[in-house]
Amino acid sequence: MWLDRIIENINYIGAIALFVIGLRIVVTHSNLIKRIMGINIMGTGVFLFFVAIGNVTGGVPPIVNPEVEDQLFINPIPSVLILTGIVVVVSITVYSLSLVVKIYENYKTIDQKELSKLISEENNEH
Amino acid sequence: MNDIIVKNITRIIIPFAQVYGIFIILNGHVSPGGGFAGGAIIGTTLILYTLVFGREKGKKKFSHKASEIAESGGIIWFVTIGLVGLVVADRFLTNINAGFPEGIIGEILSGGMIPLLMIGIGVKVASTMISLFNLLIDEGV
Amino acid sequence: MNIEQLPIINLLLFLLMALVIPLLKRKPFKITLILGFVVLGLVLISSGYLLWYVNNVEVIHYTFGGHEARFGIEFIVDPFSALFTTIIAGLAAIIYIYSSGDATEGIEKTEYGRYYVLLFILLMSMFGILYTNDLFNTYVFIEILSITTCAIISIKKKKDTYTSAFRYVMMNELGSLSYLFGVALIYMATGFTNITLISESIQNAYASYPVNIIVALGFMIIGLGIKAAIFPFHIWLPDAHSAAPSTSSAILSAIVIKVYILVLVKVLFRVFKLDILNEMNISTILLVLAGVAMIMGSVFAIAQKDVKRMLGYSSVAQMGYILLGIGLLSFEGLRAAFFHILSHGLMKTALFLSVGEIIYYKKTRKVNDFDGMGFIMPVAMGVFSIAALGMIGIPLTSGFISKLNLGVAVLDQNQIIFLVILIVSSLLNVIYYLPIIILAFLKNEKYRYRLKSIEPTPRTMIAPLVLLGVLIVVVGLFPNQIMIFIEAAANSLLP
Repeated sequence: MWLDRIIENINYIGAIALFVIGLRIVVTHSNLIKRIMGINIMGTGVFLFFVAIGNVTGGVPPIVNPEVEDQLFINPIPSVLILTGIVVVVSITVYSLSLVVKIYENYKTIDQKELSKLISEENNEH
Repeated sequence: MNDIIVKNITRIIIPFAQVYGIFIILNGHVSPGGGFAGGAIIGTTLILYTLVFGREKGKKKFSHKASEIAESGGIIWFVTIGLVGLVVADRFLTNINAGFPEGIIGEILSGGMIPLLMIGIGVKVASTMISLFNLLIDEGV
Repeated sequence: MNIEQLPIINLLLFLLMALVIPLLKRKPFKITLILGFVVLGLVLISSGYLLWYVNNVEVIHYTFGGHEARFGIEFIVDPFSALFTTIIAGLAAIIYIYSSGDATEGIEKTEYGRYYVLLFILLMSMFGILYTNDLFNTYVFIEILSITTCAIISIKKKKDTYTSAFRYVMMNELGSLSYLFGVALIYMATGFTNITLISESIQNAYASYPVNIIVALGFMIIGLGIKAAIFPFHIWLPDAHSAAPSTSSAILSAIVIKVYILVLVKVLFRVFKLDILNEMNISTILLVLAGVAMIMGSVFAIAQKDVKRMLGYSSVAQMGYILLGIGLLSFEGLRAAFFHILSHGLMKTALFLSVGEIIYYKKTRKVNDFDGMGFIMPVAMGVFSIAALGMIGIPLTSGFISKLNLGVAVLDQNQIIFLVILIVSSLLNVIYYLPIIILAFLKNEKYRYRLKSIEPTPRTMIAPLVLLGVLIVVVGLFPNQIMIFIEAAANSLLP
């Protein structure tokens, strides 16, 4: 019984698992690159959730074929929305990676703990 | 990189990949794909060229200025098409009602203005991909 | 062409301006500045006209491409969005004049063009957020806004801006992904992303899928709370706002975080509606968050030695005031919150710009160095004092009117405890603003004879400051003129 329900909702469960894994990485890891990865995993979770909503069992991709009538299409709107979301996350990733490059050039580290130590030392000098 | 195999394979692959990208852009309204996917493919070929032949040669093929113009041009093209709808049919981005030909379902020439928009998006995405890549190489946020 | 096209033309003007600036790189920079000012002026006029139009004629519904609302994107210009776009355009014009006076502190000459590109895209996305009637479209504009704000922080090529911008990116992205998750859950339960259509079917959805709606509301409040720097999620704000150039800090603190709280208002009052909110007792949660923010923001601000950090923490406290008004879920509360958004916008802009001028001229940001500053830089310190008195809530300033309204709204709902918190928070404001004024004007005798002329900074920097000082007093003296529009905006949100 419960196994059936899990299999039925496997998309949603996977999406939420990805979201939580990503959140944990962003919050707990001190490596900046890993945190960017975490954001990406979180984003993937949300996107999977969105696309899973649009799925229709037995549906085909929503491209009108004039020869076949009465086709069952999946809902295309979530996929289209998510395309925008993917673009956004890509640009956020590029931007934050370029920030990490800059941080590495200036501080020679990409570890959050060492960074905060360096910054507090600098503030004390002034 | 100074590997003859990689260089030659790249030289052979790039034209095909770019033609495939253009195909996907132009078929965006009748099959899966579209401006973003096709533009990403073309952008990837440009990145591949830069990776294999180095930044200097890549600059010669697709300079910073060219990518800047392509980026602005893509958006301006999109806005212009939208403004046609605004002027003719009173709504921004109006399609069929603004006089764009409907065409036959399933043919390349269909969907009114959507193929035109796809071209704009494709140019914009391709140039943005390569300029983001160059930005990361050249440092500078 | 009729008036319905004005909102999209506003957006396109900003977008095209941002695209034109890189093409004008070879020409003298003055052309860019004048062109940008013309664009801002046009947008200010058109949004002012829209404000008059929607209040006196009718609300504008604009669908893109003529598709119906359930397929396409819809813009709604109603008293709410028209009022706040006008406020944003006005504040942005003032900040723009100031920034043209070479006060873009710490930015390299070659980056000026890029700064203005970012500024115009920022304005475009904020206008989009306010006009749009579609939750997913709001998400897209929010992301544009957060990328451009991060870029406008890190444009100053200094060490500390990179780390604070990175923290800002991470927190913002957590916020926007939470918001997107909320949108996904609502879409799952109702099948729409259009706000009007969702609000029609949300009661049924709540009856059949209560968990979806509750979780969606939670995700959206947390996501937008992170972006609006509501107290427990504020940790990115002081770093980011103090590291940015002064004009950017003014925009970020006075306008950008307000836009996120306006999205929250839209989500609460337009999407979920009062019935569901009352049933879930959201009011209590928001009020508790607001009360904590009002006290803790001020307490943290007292401990700061850097003026800009202090102003950043003060913003956290002021967001608490606005959230208090919203959390009351009543007409009076909304009215007070909206008025405070306007008056805090004016006061924070004045504070950041006057501090910016002091930093530009004296190269110091420490509170202790303000000794005798009132006689060295009378205009900047004068405007600073007016704005600081407004923050405290002295009569004759706009801050007094907003606190009065908040007090009335709180008493109306019988929440006496929040009146006490309001007064305590105002007293805490006194603790950190008044010493600066005393230090600058009253303490040190030896500077008094040195008052010769107004400070030798460009006229374009002094004029907007004086304008802001005058506006704070004028809004404080004649609040009724603007109150008509604010009440119309609050009415358009409530049934």
